[in-house]
Amino acid sequence: MNSVNKITKKDLNSVFWRIQTIPFSYNYEKLQTIGFAHCMIPILDRLYKDADKETRVRAMKRHFEFFNTQVNAGALILGVTAAIEEKTDEDEKDAVVSLKAGLMGPFAGLGDSLLKFTWMPICGSIGAAFALQGNIIGPILMFIIYNLVNIFTKYFFVHYGYNKGIDIIEQSKNSNIIQRISNLANVVGVMVLGSLIASTVKVSTPLIIKVDEQSIKVQEMFDKVMPNFLTLIFALSVFFLVRKFQGKYTVSLIIAVMIIGVILSILGVLH
Amino acid sequence: MLTQAILVAIWAGICSLDDVGPQMLRRPLLTGTVAGIIMGDVVQGLAISATLELMWMGIGNVGAYSAPDIVAGSIIGVSLGIATSGSIVADGSSDTSIEKIIATGVALALPVSVLCQQLLILWRSFACFLNPWAEKSIQDGNYQGLVKVHYFSTPVWFLIRAVPCFLGVYFGSDLITNILNVIPKGIITGMGVASKLIPAVGICILLLMLLKGRMWFFFLLGFMLTAYLKLPIIPITFIALAFAVLYDMAFMADKNNSRQSAAQDNQVINTPVEEEYDL
Repeated sequence: MNSVNKITKKDLNSVFWRIQTIPFSYNYEKLQTIGFAHCMIPILDRLYKDADKETRVRAMKRHFEFFNTQVNAGALILGVTAAIEEKTDEDEKDAVVSLKAGLMGPFAGLGDSLLKFTWMPICGSIGAAFALQGNIIGPILMFIIYNLVNIFTKYFFVHYGYNKGIDIIEQSKNSNIIQRISNLANVVGVMVLGSLIASTVKVSTPLIIKVDEQSIKVQEMFDKVMPNFLTLIFALSVFFLVRKFQGKYTVSLIIAVMIIGVILSILGVLH
Repeated sequence: MLTQAILVAIWAGICSLDDVGPQMLRRPLLTGTVAGIIMGDVVQGLAISATLELMWMGIGNVGAYSAPDIVAGSIIGVSLGIATSGSIVADGSSDTSIEKIIATGVALALPVSVLCQQLLILWRSFACFLNPWAEKSIQDGNYQGLVKVHYFSTPVWFLIRAVPCFLGVYFGSDLITNILNVIPKGIITGMGVASKLIPAVGICILLLMLLKGRMWFFFLLGFMLTAYLKLPIIPITFIALAFAVLYDMAFMADKNNSRQSAAQDNQVINTPVEEEYDL
């Protein structure tokens, strides 16, 4: 439609600051909708500066459709939405609504699995490993490396999403880039977690079996087969339980493990 | 204790605003450590926070699902864990290890996290009244009214965790101390044992999403490297990165191969057609 971009860097920066408070108006009916609409204010103010009242009301109403996604991925959707708002004519505005609705699902899954369930736990594991040794660098390091990514992605995605507009989606389809990033994150994630189970979960037993005047320490016997063997068995059984319930009843599971731990300790099976 | 309770409450309020805002703190290791500093014992604060961090590793809000509130849970767990540690020492038990303090902290964190989860669900349901208000606020074509609607919940977010944390820290420690004196020693020791089992739950919830197909081998590799070689977390991360790159290379090679074989299949189909033209 027009080659000169109307939306300035300053507008996008203003969106970036507003992203920081997206969940403030969170509620169970429309989730992040008001938050998203409030992020669009600088964009709509710029694009419909001289428009009549009706167009302005209609423009904002578009963004009162249900919206919910992972916040960092939401930054990318905001950037793309801004680009589409600018590049479409008044009669093509359905594209804005459908694009948002189409992107929020997959992006939420991607954002959650990459940031919340991969990067955050990696940072948390590194931090916790230091903190368990009583080293204050643990939480500091965790705060820095997590938030470098957290804040940078929000800033970068708004600008990148706007500059690339729609073709980012097409591009990512061709080059598998999203699939590749999540592959990388997945491998690092499971290896770190495997190591973490070995180093933090401790199952050891003081039991002694007497056979023909010889006493065998059960723990030593298992350790000869494989160090942390009991830990692995325990962790795997917890994993299959969690998988059976599909991640539900976690609080009950934690409480159950706690009670079982206490009982086995009192019975002298674990120490 | 009043000053500490107020400081902890303010910190809980800040963390609460961060949780619905920039989301920079929100994890037990970060929120708990500062609570530990306020309570005047950094080392114990770190120990309890790290245990909670691992225990709640896979917990987070996904979509409209509200998880137990780990923000208030961690702050209370650390604060009261430290506040009651003195009394555990005073009861004359020979083994006043840090594990008991961790166990106390973890035990206290759980009920608080569930209580705050209920409070948050209540407010998030109630806050639906914001939606019609937001629609009305833009009827005059001026968007600034919407900002007011958006920030309406701010004081509620602050208080929703600050108040329970204040009450917990101010009234809780005496109460908790009395309760702890009644609890038999066997149970407290058992809690120490249990606190080493609990991290498995959080890690496994997380693994549920990641552990699919061939990922099992990488999981076992990470476990073995630490079990046999006692490697700490940072070298593991770098080794994992190398394996991740290898996996990515294999993935890409696989893609290219299937693309090439698909192309070859096309050629095979096309050849007879070309021969016909040659004739």
